[in-house]
Amino acid sequence: MKPNIFLRRTSGRSSGRVPATTLLAVGLVASLALTTGCAKSEDDGADSGDSKSAAEDDAGQVVSSPGAGGKTCGHGDYGAKKLDLKSATVGFSQSEKEANPFRIAETASIKAEAEKRGVKLLTANAQSQFSKQISDVQDLIAKGADLLVIAPLNSDGWEPVLRQAKAKHIPIVTIDRKINAAACKDYVSFIGSDFVEQGRRAADRMIEATGGKGEIAILLGAAGNNVTTDRTKGFQERIEDKAPDLKVVFKQTGEFAREKGQQVTEQLIQSKPGIDGIYAENDEMGLGAVGALKGAGKKAGEVKIVTIDGTKNAVRGIVDGWIDGVIESNPRFGPLAFKTLDTFTKGGEVAQDIVIKDSAYTKDNAKSDLGKAY
Amino acid sequence: MTVGTQSPVAPRDTVIQDEPPGATRSERLSALAQQHGALVTLVIAVLAAWLSFDTFMTTDNMQNMAVSSAFLAVVALGMTFVIVTGGIDLSVGSLFALGGVLAAWGSQYGTAVALLLPLAVCGLIGLVNGLLIARSRLAPFIVTLAALLGARGILLAVTDEGSKTYLVDKDSFFATLGQGKLLGIGAPVWITVGLFVAGAVVLRRTRFGQYVYAVGGNEDAAALMGAPVARTKTAVYTLSGLCAGLAGALNAAWLASGVTILGSGMELEAISAVVIGGTLLSGGFGFLSGSLVGVLLLKVIQNVINQIGSLDSAYQQVVSGGFLAVVVIAQTWLGRRRRVL
Repeated sequence: MKPNIFLRRTSGRSSGRVPATTLLAVGLVASLALTTGCAKSEDDGADSGDSKSAAEDDAGQVVSSPGAGGKTCGHGDYGAKKLDLKSATVGFSQSEKEANPFRIAETASIKAEAEKRGVKLLTANAQSQFSKQISDVQDLIAKGADLLVIAPLNSDGWEPVLRQAKAKHIPIVTIDRKINAAACKDYVSFIGSDFVEQGRRAADRMIEATGGKGEIAILLGAAGNNVTTDRTKGFQERIEDKAPDLKVVFKQTGEFAREKGQQVTEQLIQSKPGIDGIYAENDEMGLGAVGALKGAGKKAGEVKIVTIDGTKNAVRGIVDGWIDGVIESNPRFGPLAFKTLDTFTKGGEVAQDIVIKDSAYTKDNAKSDLGKAY
Repeated sequence: MTVGTQSPVAPRDTVIQDEPPGATRSERLSALAQQHGALVTLVIAVLAAWLSFDTFMTTDNMQNMAVSSAFLAVVALGMTFVIVTGGIDLSVGSLFALGGVLAAWGSQYGTAVALLLPLAVCGLIGLVNGLLIARSRLAPFIVTLAALLGARGILLAVTDEGSKTYLVDKDSFFATLGQGKLLGIGAPVWITVGLFVAGAVVLRRTRFGQYVYAVGGNEDAAALMGAPVARTKTAVYTLSGLCAGLAGALNAAWLASGVTILGSGMELEAISAVVIGGTLLSGGFGFLSGSLVGVLLLKVIQNVINQIGSLDSAYQQVVSGGFLAVVVIAQTWLGRRRRVL
């Protein structure tokens, strides 16, 4: 068997097959774009609507525990140089594309604050691909970022980035999720919500709405991240603690997505038609639940719904009477992140854990505070 | 540097693959362009980026790009073999993630376990893929899609639904495989270059390599001529599984942890890189150096978008999609000219 025979054949065939390849290859490109488009996202939701402008509204973040008793970090401990924030370049790495209200508001807030302060900002978006986020941050460093603000997609796996940042003494502030590393050594501060507390507050709302009695369901977030775990933990602990007569009879993941939340709620109504309350771990799933209840002919307020996030559509749901309470998870990290960097680079001490205070929306304030929602 | 890794393989490709006796000069030129179209595009892209951004051609940036391309490149290596036989392997993204998790878990028992465990498991899944495709004559697309789902399921099972991340000791020898440097170049890059040289020799110079082309060119004819079709197919899917597992392990060493959310969509990136590199999805024609160029091209596109530094995520996708389309269209156009002539 002579290799030549094969080779002649194959090259002959290859030139004949070009059109098929064109189609396949173009299809591939399209599907590549699609996959990134459909990638699982934390607070998924298609409609952004008017949330873009909302970031410029008020409702900036307030620190709930201003470092009292908590550990602080100064630039000496971290090994950073003093510099003037105004003349510095800040790199911002976003984890998910700006296609849901939370991420849109978060990025807009960072951009607006940089502009306000006249700081040069470089941005990158990992499109929910963790490998890309690592490259993104490396690119930001290579491009000359003096300071980094990171919204991490995953808490582990930051070794290459932390090593490079350390070699160049670049301060890192992480927002909304944590990096599993040593504060004030590998990164300066973490700014974010207390997700367990959000769960507890949602439970309080649920107890009040249902009178502490009856059967309730939980629409869980996507499996395998700390937001879901913490929001579930806080909620369940508080219910067991304060309202033992309130029974969680149904728990299923809606993957933080509206359609999935609706689907799961449809099943719920069939299996438990007398359900009294639904706790949705984000607004999008809560809105899906509303859709399912409407479809099943239920009336507004018949089933008590409590959600977390504080998007415009959910707060509007309160005004319409479908949703009972929304616990806020404030995505406007810009002012606080830059304030932290400013203090730190000037030589001041900043808290290693900066927990923000989230407000809440109920019937009493939903109408008046609709402008604060994102 | 990107061009340097190319040279050990490229010249031979040209000589062997496309010089039918009596080929005219323009035919030969056009054949050359098809084979090296991606390389030409890469060089143009690099030059353009160099001229446009003064932070592009820096040692840091080059090193970052080289190391982070290494993992996809190893996956693309296995994928090239599969695609040359006319098949497809959709399972590599999941196997990459699974390999990383297994390696991180295994690293507590030493480097040997950290490497052999992912190789064994991912190689085995690749072998099963190959057997189902070759012996049971099932469609590669479906078989490997099932493996994609199955491997992801195994990953979730061993990581408590993805919430448990195993860490790699930063001072272990295993971590050095991902983080170490030799002559200023990252260890994963050296390993990748070594694998590509070895892979090119296998594909070009061995009987097995000839079988791979033969099976992809015309399966029935290859069988009639006595090529072991089933065994060749089984081997390429096993190889692809091994490559994905190894890439995952090296990546885990680099990240110092078995990140559970990696790899989704990676199969498409690998396939794109292979196709951009000039390998035909219909099989029978292709070369490894092209796949390496394809991987680097994808990386450069991503880097350039970050060099711009202010694109919205939506536009980033538009730009990278558009760039890919241009590359593929240019590639096919070059190919079509050959047929017309």
